[in-house]
Amino acid sequence: MFTHIFCNRLKCLLRDKENIFWTMVFPVLLAIFFYLALSNIQQGEVFQSIKIAVVDNAEYQKAEHLKTALNEAATGKSKLFDLTHAAREEAEQLLEQDKVAAYLFVEGGRPKLAVKKSGIRQSIVKSFLDSYQQTAASVNSILKNKPRDPQQLLNSIGDRRQYVVEVSGTAAEPDSVLIYFYSLIAMACFYGGFLGMREITDIEANISPLAARINVSPVHKLKAFLSSMSASVLIHLAEMFILLLFLRYVLRVDFGSKSVYVVITTITGSLTGLSFGAFISALVKKSEGIKIAILVGGTMTGSFLSGMMYLEMKYIVSQHVPLLAYINPVNLLTDAFYSLYYYDTMSRYLLNIGILGFFIVFFCACTYFIIRRRKYASL
Amino acid sequence: MQVFKLCLRVLKKNIPSLLIYVVIFLAISLIMALAHTNEQEDALFSPSKSNIAFLSAEETPLVRGLKEELGKVANFVELPDDAEALQDALFFREVSYILRVPEGFSERFMNGEQVQLEKTIVPDSFSNAYLDLKIDQYLNSARLYVEQIEDLSQESLVQYLKSDLSADTPVELKTNGVKAADHVYTNYYFNYLAYSMLAVLILGTSALMLVYHDQDLQRRNACSPLSPGSFNRQFFLAILVFTGLTWFLMVIFCFLFNFKNLVNINAVFFVANSFVFAVCAAGISFLVGNMVKSESSIPAVCNVLTLGLAFISGVFVPAELLGSSVLKVASFTPTYWYVAANNRIAALASFNYASLQPVFSAMLIQAGFALAFIAIALVLGKKRRLE
Repeated sequence: MFTHIFCNRLKCLLRDKENIFWTMVFPVLLAIFFYLALSNIQQGEVFQSIKIAVVDNAEYQKAEHLKTALNEAATGKSKLFDLTHAAREEAEQLLEQDKVAAYLFVEGGRPKLAVKKSGIRQSIVKSFLDSYQQTAASVNSILKNKPRDPQQLLNSIGDRRQYVVEVSGTAAEPDSVLIYFYSLIAMACFYGGFLGMREITDIEANISPLAARINVSPVHKLKAFLSSMSASVLIHLAEMFILLLFLRYVLRVDFGSKSVYVVITTITGSLTGLSFGAFISALVKKSEGIKIAILVGGTMTGSFLSGMMYLEMKYIVSQHVPLLAYINPVNLLTDAFYSLYYYDTMSRYLLNIGILGFFIVFFCACTYFIIRRRKYASL
Repeated sequence: MQVFKLCLRVLKKNIPSLLIYVVIFLAISLIMALAHTNEQEDALFSPSKSNIAFLSAEETPLVRGLKEELGKVANFVELPDDAEALQDALFFREVSYILRVPEGFSERFMNGEQVQLEKTIVPDSFSNAYLDLKIDQYLNSARLYVEQIEDLSQESLVQYLKSDLSADTPVELKTNGVKAADHVYTNYYFNYLAYSMLAVLILGTSALMLVYHDQDLQRRNACSPLSPGSFNRQFFLAILVFTGLTWFLMVIFCFLFNFKNLVNINAVFFVANSFVFAVCAAGISFLVGNMVKSESSIPAVCNVLTLGLAFISGVFVPAELLGSSVLKVASFTPTYWYVAANNRIAALASFNYASLQPVFSAMLIQAGFALAFIAIALVLGKKRRLE
């Protein structure tokens, strides 16, 4: 009997294009969109020289050192600035038309900056000028204090050293782009709820005619339910593995070195999603539209809180309402993936998986107690 | 005007389900726009302080001076020096930067040796790069003193540096009275409109058009004395009215939440641009409505289309951060031009022809897209009727 129900159910579900779309095609498409939008951030941008203008007047000509510093920054292969010399009005016009990010002028012996808006490029120009002035101040005060070797001093200015070296806290770089992909997997796991929901729809006699027919057949309800649920589980797991393989080998998302655990997490997530859908469907005694709305709304809220749309949200939640982070299954799943990737130790991962396991048991038990022994004399 | 009236009645019936989408999208747009406004707040003129952990193995005047200097741009968070606690702090973004001063740093530095500090960071944040710059500047200046001045004590070095590093470049902001930052919220809100408005329009229009695509109904309509031209005109008029209402509702919301920043000429251009885009979106939804075959495929098509367009044309992720090849593809979509025009409008400080010209051409391109979509939709619709 099991094989019969299982096989037919499998065919039945695979022909449901809508379900397949939402549980597999949609997450894959979203992953592609994420990839298109975020891959550049991940790889770091190719630095482009910043276009700036300099007001070329008598005061600028007098500021010899500034001139040298600017020209040095505006030459070479990986130059920082693209320099345009212009008269005041001209510079103003260039800024107006967004041809330059900023223009600088010398007034009272000090460089000043004019910008139209504050942005990263403008900040870099300002940092450069700040640094120039601060170094100039140091040089002046050193020259006043009888330096050892003034010639050597000028050479040292050009030799800027990097004093900070990055040491990784763990084996992996904390990469925030990954959170997007992890919460995407978590969302895909919870979209498995559609399948779980369908299973209930097709087994509860008061919801669909198909279920009414199944209920009059001489098969134990639990047996029928478990057989068809297994088909859903199989399909959803297959879909999730396709998604994982797609992420790993086509989009090259890094899952860290613990691939076995990634698979375990995905299976846990998939089961949570399916049982969540079944639970909602059994619990809510309203139309299918409302059930779908609750499922999608719940998943989306969960994904939002775990940072799928807006990364900072995750941290806002964990800092202000830590409890919410632990009862949000989507967040638990995202965290489980991320802690696998990020932490050397497994304690956080195990905690996440443990709570998820509790959720699965809870959803399944509730579903079981709601649907068991429900019989109808007439519908 | 029977067709027109009927269309409005069909749409009216769909109001509850559409309203859910409008509310959700508005909520998301508002949250996102607000969040980005906070994030973008004037990094240049008042850099927002980032949270850092400063772990020092020694307590010397030089280290104290460095810490004081960093205090100008960062808040210090006390953390236990324990690997797991530090990992947690970075993981949950309690701090975005952990700076570690190794034992004997000051002494070796004063002797002119090559020494380095260690940092562990959350990558990709601009404030981190800013901190790096600050630290490098401090220590590079310090090195000049160490190399040149004999018998320099740490205390006097710190004193020198303190006065040197107070030098700051004055910045003039060239705008027409309104600070450029004030447009950040409006800019984001209108950018998100490209996603939310398009989604609502596609859902509503498709639901409407599906009603008319019933074959029996179509055959009945075909033998009515109403010419197909008039039918289509009324139909499209209904879609335009629907578009107009949706657009109006969404723009009004922006005004409600952000009124004080919208009393300027930039706002007029934002609104005008969004109207042009709304017409274009109506064209897209007309086309989609002509192509969908079943009710269940509407949300699928709608989601893929709106999210896809939004992601590649810089609605969710700022266009400057997208790859150039992605942007090239995106420039074949109206959303790209809409977002481009919005970003340009946000940066407008004066309103002469030269600065407005790119905005106008972006609007024209959107209008061109609108015409193209409508034309294709009409051709497809005709083909579908003849089948």
